[in-house]
Amino acid sequence: MVLIIVTLALKKSTGLQWILSGLTVGSIYALMAMGFSVIFSSTRVINFAQGEFSMLGGMLMYTFSNRAGIPALYSFILSVLIVTLIGAGFERLVIHPLKKPSVITIILITIGLSIFFRAAAKWIWGTDTLAIAPFSGDKPFKLLGATLVPQSLWIFGFTLLTVVLMFIFFNRTILGKGMRAAAENPEAATLVGVSPPATSLVAWTIAAALGASAGIIIAPIKFVSFDVGVMLGLKGFASAILGGLGYAPGAVVGGLSLGVLETIVAGVFPSGYKDAVAFLVLVIVLLLRPQGILGRQEKLE
Amino acid sequence: MKQSVEKSKVKAKRCENKYKNFAIASVLILIVPLWARFIPGNLIHMDIVNVMALAGIYSCAVIGLNLLIGYAGQISLGHAAFFGIGAYSVAILSTRYPGFPAWLGIIIGAIISCAISWIVGKPVLKLKGHYLAMATLGLGEIGFIFFREATGITKGTVGIIAIPPLSIFGIVIDSDFKIFYVVWITVLLLMLFSMNLIKSRFGRALRALHSSEIAAEAAGVNTSKYKTVVFVMSAVFTAVGGGLFAVFQRYVNPESFHFSVSILFITMVVVGGLGNLWGAVIGSIIITFLPSIISALPYWFPFMPESLTNFGNYTLVLYGILLIVFMIFMPKGIAYALEISYSSALRGMKRIRDRISAMRYTKRK
Amino acid sequence: MSGHRSTRILAFTTCLLMFLSFFFGGCGKKEDEPVTPTKEPYKVGAVLSISGPNAPLGTPEQRAIRLFEKEINAKGGINGHPLEVIIEDDESDPAKASTAVTKLITQMNVLAVVGSSGTGTTLAMSPIVEREQVPLVSCAAGAQITNPINKWVFRTPPTDTMALQKVLEYLKNTVKVTKVAVLHDANAFGTGGADALQAQAPNYGIQVIARESYGSTDTDMTGQLTKIKQTAAQALVVWGTNPGPAVVAQNMKQLGITIPYVGSHGIANKKFIELAGSAADGVVFPAGRLLIPSSIPKNSAWRKAVDRFAAAYKKEYQLEIDTFAAHGYDAIAMVAEAIKKAGPDRAKIRDEIEKLKGFVGIDGVYNYSPTNHDGLTADDLIMIKIVNGKWTEEKS
Repeated sequence: MVLIIVTLALKKSTGLQWILSGLTVGSIYALMAMGFSVIFSSTRVINFAQGEFSMLGGMLMYTFSNRAGIPALYSFILSVLIVTLIGAGFERLVIHPLKKPSVITIILITIGLSIFFRAAAKWIWGTDTLAIAPFSGDKPFKLLGATLVPQSLWIFGFTLLTVVLMFIFFNRTILGKGMRAAAENPEAATLVGVSPPATSLVAWTIAAALGASAGIIIAPIKFVSFDVGVMLGLKGFASAILGGLGYAPGAVVGGLSLGVLETIVAGVFPSGYKDAVAFLVLVIVLLLRPQGILGRQEKLE
Repeated sequence: MKQSVEKSKVKAKRCENKYKNFAIASVLILIVPLWARFIPGNLIHMDIVNVMALAGIYSCAVIGLNLLIGYAGQISLGHAAFFGIGAYSVAILSTRYPGFPAWLGIIIGAIISCAISWIVGKPVLKLKGHYLAMATLGLGEIGFIFFREATGITKGTVGIIAIPPLSIFGIVIDSDFKIFYVVWITVLLLMLFSMNLIKSRFGRALRALHSSEIAAEAAGVNTSKYKTVVFVMSAVFTAVGGGLFAVFQRYVNPESFHFSVSILFITMVVVGGLGNLWGAVIGSIIITFLPSIISALPYWFPFMPESLTNFGNYTLVLYGILLIVFMIFMPKGIAYALEISYSSALRGMKRIRDRISAMRYTKRK
Repeated sequence: MSGHRSTRILAFTTCLLMFLSFFFGGCGKKEDEPVTPTKEPYKVGAVLSISGPNAPLGTPEQRAIRLFEKEINAKGGINGHPLEVIIEDDESDPAKASTAVTKLITQMNVLAVVGSSGTGTTLAMSPIVEREQVPLVSCAAGAQITNPINKWVFRTPPTDTMALQKVLEYLKNTVKVTKVAVLHDANAFGTGGADALQAQAPNYGIQVIARESYGSTDTDMTGQLTKIKQTAAQALVVWGTNPGPAVVAQNMKQLGITIPYVGSHGIANKKFIELAGSAADGVVFPAGRLLIPSSIPKNSAWRKAVDRFAAAYKKEYQLEIDTFAAHGYDAIAMVAEAIKKAGPDRAKIRDEIEKLKGFVGIDGVYNYSPTNHDGLTADDLIMIKIVNGKWTEEKS
């Protein structure tokens, strides 16, 4: 926040441009971070393959809309549906049979999954970078001396919609509340009728659907290739931790701050170090405030 | 009293066994180049000595990482950075200052790694689980970016070429045959050290830490100190591996120290066996040979489709599947499976022998 | 418990199926058997980046090399010996490249090695071919490969330095600017290019007044571009490979930056136009003449070679040729030519490559000497401008 004000005061329109660009990038990270959050808040599992869900979403969208010529809306639904099925299937086949996995086991299994998806995508789609047309043209418009492409608005809108839906789901619906309860105390949750295995399945399904739609929405400005999930996943995980793991608004705050920070760093410092600065801030935040910027103090294990 | 004497005797015997196994394994490894050179290349389509040497280099890192993950239960997703520190120390010192002995570079790399891991390890290891994973990942990534961006020191992405070969006591280690022995003797020394370490008080403390940190703390183990020490140790082992990598490859660029290399190390630990010393070595050997084996398959089985020659694709698919399969079905890794089958084979042999002698006995009757 | 076990078995079977499906996915594409050998084959190795980040380079190189192998064996091989090319994939990884080249030399006894596709992987192979005394013809463009000259290492593509000379000449003579900004990929290609640009620009009376970089997978370069916008730069040089330069083109359009965009030969492919869309219009970049064959004098041997290769490549793979296919084809053709003259002797093959003069390839006409292992010159390149999504030669 302070950073944003200082930048605006010092650089005026340039500063605004950085912040707008940063918010676009940040929204992408936020969407990724929410995917991590959904699974973590209900099962205490970190899914390192979250970025790959987005990659698969984008790739499938390209195949359906650009290759097969299916109308965009149907391609979108079809792609999200397939990725969701993959996510749910993986949960049933691999995560579910593990009764009480350790953190290391889960990290390694999901890393294995992400490597597998990546290699499979390379096999199917090759190593080319693929482009998807923007949803509503690419004519930039001006805003107080800064410019923005229409796709950014789609991303902002989708992020906003997602965070609102997530908040409602986890705080207002019985299933959502039950899922959070299941993470904190599985036995007690079972007593009141929420079964942890079902929770896990629902969480993975939502995360996969969210990841896939995010992957499609960002594809017009991010492009898509088999390895696009690595950085997305990494930055998304970083944002989730930065904002507070397992808390949707935290994911958004984490994502937006990381995005803005990166753009400003790239604008002010030698740009090659921008990722290093992002990770350094992350490590420092972790050390000072392991629960993240917005995360509530909770018992860490 | 008598009982305890008996017990210590058993213990001594087990100890002896351990060393006997170690000696057998060492001999098995060290004679590899002697038979490998008699196998015609167009028969197996791989250079066993060369790949073995690389496997040994990775082993150094993997043994260290295994101490950290398998014994102390702390994860690190950033060990490729320490590998890089080791490699760059050798590369920079021996190209900037001609005549600078490479072995000294390896030691300096280890010292730098030691210092950095000590400074970083102390605060970072307070974190647990996912948070520790993220922090180490972030630090590893910072290391990678440093190698890439600090062009004045590391020559950036261009990399450092023409690293002079290692020379020890005036012998220039310039062939795969020679480097094989340097690498594997180092690995065996690290193994010996680790074997003694885990049997010591320190090793018991680590295992206590792994099963429950709170219980270990309650039992008077200074968990923070132990965690830091084992982290530093694994960093130093990895840096030694990195130094050997530089003199083996004689070219370094940042790509060899990317996040994916940290994952590669972890795959080796897991495939070999978490918390199994020989597992680290077995895991490194298997994973390092995997691409060579897959690329040689079309020659061994000429009826296989041509598309199989592009083996880069399947090795990755295989890494992914191996990780998942091993974590689910064989969390103790191949080394444990081997141990089990070895001991059950022994038991089976004994049973057969017993039966035979029993049969003889009845016959005589 | 038994339910638990059955899930496990199910999971295991699934994994197994996933694995098997990948093994048999590519079945049924058996290569035609080469012409029956009359004499013992001459073995040549090739280490290419068929997977990994450099796969877009290694894949066409592999196709071109296989095409050459087929063509020469159909014509009876080299002095009656069939040519056998053993291709290894280095996965764009320097460590794997050195393993692969060692295996080719010590186990497969190849006469010469072609490759690798990238600069890093080639540099990893150089000390090994020097030690084992085997000639290497690289398909990578990095200046460090032949500077300083390694006795055993040659290359086919025009170097990054040549492309840069072309760009600087263009900036000086055609665009007539004195102040430029450079925005480059943080990888070896981008950094190397930017370094060389800064070093050479003063010779052309050009000043580099801003230098920025981006990560290969970055989505957004507006931070760097607004910084550049505030300087007095009259042109922007972008040094990188896809997709970065396409993002730069789009962001420039978004920010309304109108100074000329001069790219590198890394965007000399249709992919760039596909990615950047309408933002690609007006972008100028250096490239080999083969991309616009009409820029090569008609009836010259070079033009004929390009036309013939393009037709053969199209017939074999139903694809247009690109510069990488040309690099690979020229490299193996050169090695075959040297073997023809020298016979199966590694040292003599090296000497023959070094003596090649006026060797007509696809990339250009090669001339090597003990002091020049590059073969081509900056004149083998042209500047191409994208107009309405099409390439046109930009005459200076």
